[in-house]
Amino acid sequence: MDTNSRPVVVKRTPERLNARTAREFLREVQPLFTMDRPQIVFDLSQVKQLDASGVEMLLRCMSEAHKRDGDLKLATLSAQAAVVLELTRTERLFEIYETSTDAVRSFSGFLPNAMRQQLLHRKPSTAPWAA
Amino acid sequence: MTYMDIRALILVNRTIEELADLTPLSALPSALLEVAGKTSLQRTLERLHQFGIPPATVISDCDFLVPAPTNGDGANYLITARERFWRAAESAFNELVQDGAELVLVLPLGGYAEIDVEKLVQFHFGQQARVSQVCTASQPLPVFCISASRRNDAASLFRSQLSKCRSECPMFLHTGYFNPLADARDLRQLAIDILTLKTQTKPSGIEVRPGVWIELGATIEKGARVLAPAFIGAFAKIRTHAVITRCSSVEHHAQIDCGTVCENSTVLPYCVIGAGLDLAHSVVGAGVLANLHRDVTVEIADPKLVGYIPAAAGHRLLNAALELTAYLPKQVWQGLFGKSEPQPDLRTALHQTSPSLGSAAGYETPACDADAAEKFPSDLAVLRRYGHQ
Repeated sequence: MDTNSRPVVVKRTPERLNARTAREFLREVQPLFTMDRPQIVFDLSQVKQLDASGVEMLLRCMSEAHKRDGDLKLATLSAQAAVVLELTRTERLFEIYETSTDAVRSFSGFLPNAMRQQLLHRKPSTAPWAA
Repeated sequence: MTYMDIRALILVNRTIEELADLTPLSALPSALLEVAGKTSLQRTLERLHQFGIPPATVISDCDFLVPAPTNGDGANYLITARERFWRAAESAFNELVQDGAELVLVLPLGGYAEIDVEKLVQFHFGQQARVSQVCTASQPLPVFCISASRRNDAASLFRSQLSKCRSECPMFLHTGYFNPLADARDLRQLAIDILTLKTQTKPSGIEVRPGVWIELGATIEKGARVLAPAFIGAFAKIRTHAVITRCSSVEHHAQIDCGTVCENSTVLPYCVIGAGLDLAHSVVGAGVLANLHRDVTVEIADPKLVGYIPAAAGHRLLNAALELTAYLPKQVWQGLFGKSEPQPDLRTALHQTSPSLGSAAGYETPACDADAAEKFPSDLAVLRRYGHQ
C-alpha cells in the first residue's frame, strides 16, 4: 500500500515464532530494512506460538527500522501474541493497531491518533493538512 | 447426653471434574489443585473436622490422591476404577451405615462450598426428609444429606450419579461461600477470596505480616518484595527484585525469577516464571498461561518465560546438581576474567525488558505495577482491617 508517497510494506508473520522460524523470518524481511525510511507493518493474526526469540526478533526489526529513520508497527495481534508481548513487557514498545489498514494509515502523517481518526471521517477538501 | 453419628462421604470423580475447564492448566482435578497452600479437598476435610464429624471416607477414581498414611488427615481413602466408581460409593455408604452412622453427608468435590453442617442437619430433621439436597440461590448443588436407614434412596441416588432422587428431596438453601472451580477464573477468585478472608478457611502457613502468608521452606531473596495480601507456598523461591502483589498466590515449589512482577496471579505448584516478566491477572500451570483479562489460555513452550520443575524430589535434586555443575565453572571464569557489574536496583530491574530476550533485553519499559514496589518500601508493614478487629 502507498501512503504519503512512500510504500508501506505489510508482512504476515508465520504461525510459530520460535528460535528457528524467527531466524528464517528475519532473513526473509532483512531486505525491507535496507531501504531508506522503511515503513513496515507486521500482521500477527496467524501467530499461535511466540517465544522469547520471536519477541527478540520483533524488537530487532523495530530497532533496524529506527536506525534508518523508519518505523515498524504491529497489527491484528492474535491473543497468544498479545499475551506474550504483555508478559515480556514489550507491548508498550510497539505501536499496535487493530487492523493492518489502521496501521498503514497511521504512517500517513505525524498526527496524533485522535486527530487522525477525525481526518479519516472528513472529506479531503475540508482537511487542510491532508497530504 | 447422646451424640448423633454423622459421617461424610467425599467423592472425587473424573465425571464431575470433566465439567471443569481446568485441564489445560494442570493434570490434577480441581479438587486436588492447591490454592493458597491447600486443596479444596483438604479444606473440606478440615471443615468437617471443625463440625465434629469423624474422619471422612474419600472415594476417588484418580490415582493422584496420596494414600492416607502420608496425608495425615485421618481420612479413609478408597481409590477405585472409573467404571466402578458409583458402585464403590454405594458400598462405602452401606459400610458407613453398618458402622453405626445415622446420617451420611455426600459431598462430590468439583467446587468448594462452605456448608453449615449444623444448619443442614437441623433442616434435614425439621423437614423429616429421607434425603435433603443443598442449593444456592441460583442452582442446586450435588450435595446431599441422607438418613442412614434409607439405603434404597441412597442406592438410587448413586446409580443415577447423583442426578435423580427417588423420593421428594427438600432443598436446603446454602447462603455461605461457594466457588464452582469450573475454570481458571474461579480458581483465581478462590485465591483472592481466601487471601482477603472472605472465606472461613484461611491460607496455609504463617502470617508473617498482616496479609502475607508464608509456608515453611519458602525462600524470599534479598531485594524481593511481597506486598499484602499474598501467599508464598512451601519451598517456593522468590528471587531478588521480584515483586509479588495484589492477592497473588505462589504455590509450593514454584519459582519467580529476578525482576518479575507477579500481580493478581496464581502460580501453580512446580511452575517457574522467568526473569524480568510482567505476570498480571493470570493463572500459570506447567507451560500454560491463562490470561483472565483477555480470557485466553496460551501454551508457552519457552522455558525462559514459563517453565516447570519436576515434581519428583529425585529429579529435582538431579536438576539442581546439573545446574550447579554448569554454574560453577561459569562463575569461576567470570571471577577470573570477567568485569564486575553492579547489581541493578529494584527500579532499574522493573523498568527494563526481560533478560531472557537476549540482545533485546534492557529496553526501557516499566512493569505494570512497578510503582507498587516504590510506593511500599520493603520494611513498611502494610496494615489492613480484619472484620471486628
